[in-house]
Amino acid sequence: MAVASSDTAIRTGRITRTFLYLVLLLFALFYLLPFGVMVVNSVKPLSEITGGNMMALPKVWTFEPWREAWATAQIGVEPTGLRPYFWNSIKMVVPAVAISTILGALNGYVLTKWRFKYDTMTFGFMLFACFIPFQIVLIPMARVLGLTGMAGSTPGLVFVHVIFGLGFTTLYFKNYYQVFPTELIRAAQIDGAGFFRIFQRILLPSSGPIIVVSVIWQFTNIWNDFLFGASFADLDSQPMTVALNNLVNSSHGVKQYNVHFAGAILAALPTLLVYIVAGRYFVRGLMAGSVKG
Amino acid sequence: MGFLDINNATKSYGSVEVLHNVDIQVEEGEFLVLVGPSGCGKSTLLNMIAGLEDITTGQIAIKGNAMNGVHPSNRNIAMVFQSYALYPNMSVGQNITFGLEMHGVPKPEREKAMAEVAKLLQIEPLLDRKPGQLSGGQRQRVAMGRALVRDPDVFLFDEPLSNLDAKLRVDMRTEIKKLHQKLGTTIVYVTHDQIEALTLSTRIAVMNGGYVQQLGTPKEIYDTPANLFVATFMGSPSMNLVSVKIVETDQGIAAQTTNGHGKTILLPFLNASAELKSYAGQTVTLGVRPEALTDPGGADRDAANVVEFDSRVLVTEPAGSDTFVTTTLGGTECNARMRADVQVRPGDDVRFAINMDKAVVFDPKTEKRIS
Repeated sequence: MAVASSDTAIRTGRITRTFLYLVLLLFALFYLLPFGVMVVNSVKPLSEITGGNMMALPKVWTFEPWREAWATAQIGVEPTGLRPYFWNSIKMVVPAVAISTILGALNGYVLTKWRFKYDTMTFGFMLFACFIPFQIVLIPMARVLGLTGMAGSTPGLVFVHVIFGLGFTTLYFKNYYQVFPTELIRAAQIDGAGFFRIFQRILLPSSGPIIVVSVIWQFTNIWNDFLFGASFADLDSQPMTVALNNLVNSSHGVKQYNVHFAGAILAALPTLLVYIVAGRYFVRGLMAGSVKG
Repeated sequence: MGFLDINNATKSYGSVEVLHNVDIQVEEGEFLVLVGPSGCGKSTLLNMIAGLEDITTGQIAIKGNAMNGVHPSNRNIAMVFQSYALYPNMSVGQNITFGLEMHGVPKPEREKAMAEVAKLLQIEPLLDRKPGQLSGGQRQRVAMGRALVRDPDVFLFDEPLSNLDAKLRVDMRTEIKKLHQKLGTTIVYVTHDQIEALTLSTRIAVMNGGYVQQLGTPKEIYDTPANLFVATFMGSPSMNLVSVKIVETDQGIAAQTTNGHGKTILLPFLNASAELKSYAGQTVTLGVRPEALTDPGGADRDAANVVEFDSRVLVTEPAGSDTFVTTTLGGTECNARMRADVQVRPGDDVRFAINMDKAVVFDPKTEKRIS
């Protein structure tokens, strides 16, 4: 009896599992479909796309659309491809992510370990910044950038992104440092370490997971931003997203779908890469505050 | 003027005063224990000495220099924390020398100091490990090493043993005592454990409700508690407190109470003080430690005034080294500490001996001891 029943249990388990995997596979395929279509169409000649099936694999494999999107496609008035804008984006994203993460860490450190009067209120205002719709601040921000002489420049964009990222990065680091033992800070104070020394020697080395969270979050948001890029950038500081839009809109005559697909993938690639490289730390970092005692 | 002077120090948070006019003078080489229940202000006082909390009014001075407003790192103190507070990202060696590094001590000297401390605490094999790879006792040693390496004027310990298991706690207690005897350092030690306080200290400050209830040697605190709080807080099992009436007899002043059968018994005082005599006719609280209430054979032979009486046994608790016997005196349950092998059973009528030399008397209204 016992043997028979355990046998059925295993079989039921197997059937359920097969069913589960099948469903999961279907969903995975469903989610991957758009990306698949993009990849497939970015490596075929335009004639194959206009001539028939978007879903079909290419008959002739070509990387010409990728080369064209990267180096020679018409963006607005210049036939430069996406390359210069890719570098614009990098020049904007790297400092913006670095600055907002470091400032967020400092804010979190101050808000949890160097409490002051009205600190909760200060943090409340910073949180508020996370939830302000961007459209509301476009005009005041344009005015500020104009007054400070940063309008239409990469530093201007960095400034805007740092401001809007700060709410989130502060939130992350504050939650993370909340459970960081205060006795460690006190021990370091007695040992003679100052404000920044404690931050740099004690706190930062223990902040790996939350730094990863902050970097992924900020990188993804800033890289993908279109609104600020379109509003505040000049031709020579436009980020990738704006350039992609111009690429798609500025075709003369025939729409070169294969080039557009290649360009779109190029624009999405860095965020994908960051997530693949650091993604497993992401969940760990997000959970860190909640499971540590 | 002592080595560490706490003069009339108070601490307030807003309008709430949590520490009231604390006055303690600590001599060089003393081991002062601050003991009391949670929230009595003992850790606050320690943090004020450390400079982690500021002093609202009054003064704290080390070696005659006022420490009010002086940064913790400039007070030449070292602190061992309850959680040990070892830096998780640094090796044991780096943990120990971090303070020296922050004070700009050159590397060769740091290494030398570290080697000495590691040898003293026998943690040499651990120097390259991270704190996460150490056991509780090892972490405790490293935390003490970090304090020792600075060669401070005053060591501050904040409940350093409360995270250890019972056996290790006793071992480390002895270690700390040995270390103190060997190095002769000045130590202020906070604990809520009265055994730790009695065993380690040269002097104890018993605190409650933000007041120092009594400051004295372990023996003073134990034998002549200043008030009912100190009497019940220090000692385990705690002191028996019985309501008795002070009466004048032919032989002098005596405490009148009833045994387990409701029969009146008289417990005479030898050499009663004038103050106690003035309480004649009034009801007071008689305090008797469990070891002063025992079987006649176990009574202290050197005691001058041992009174025997009969009473009924309610409960017996054999504890290996002793047998604790519960009876009633004056309607209150009392704990008597008898020899391990006494043959008593619940319900028996047994002869008890009370050592009146050790008995103390409290005024039930003011709760202060009547000398």
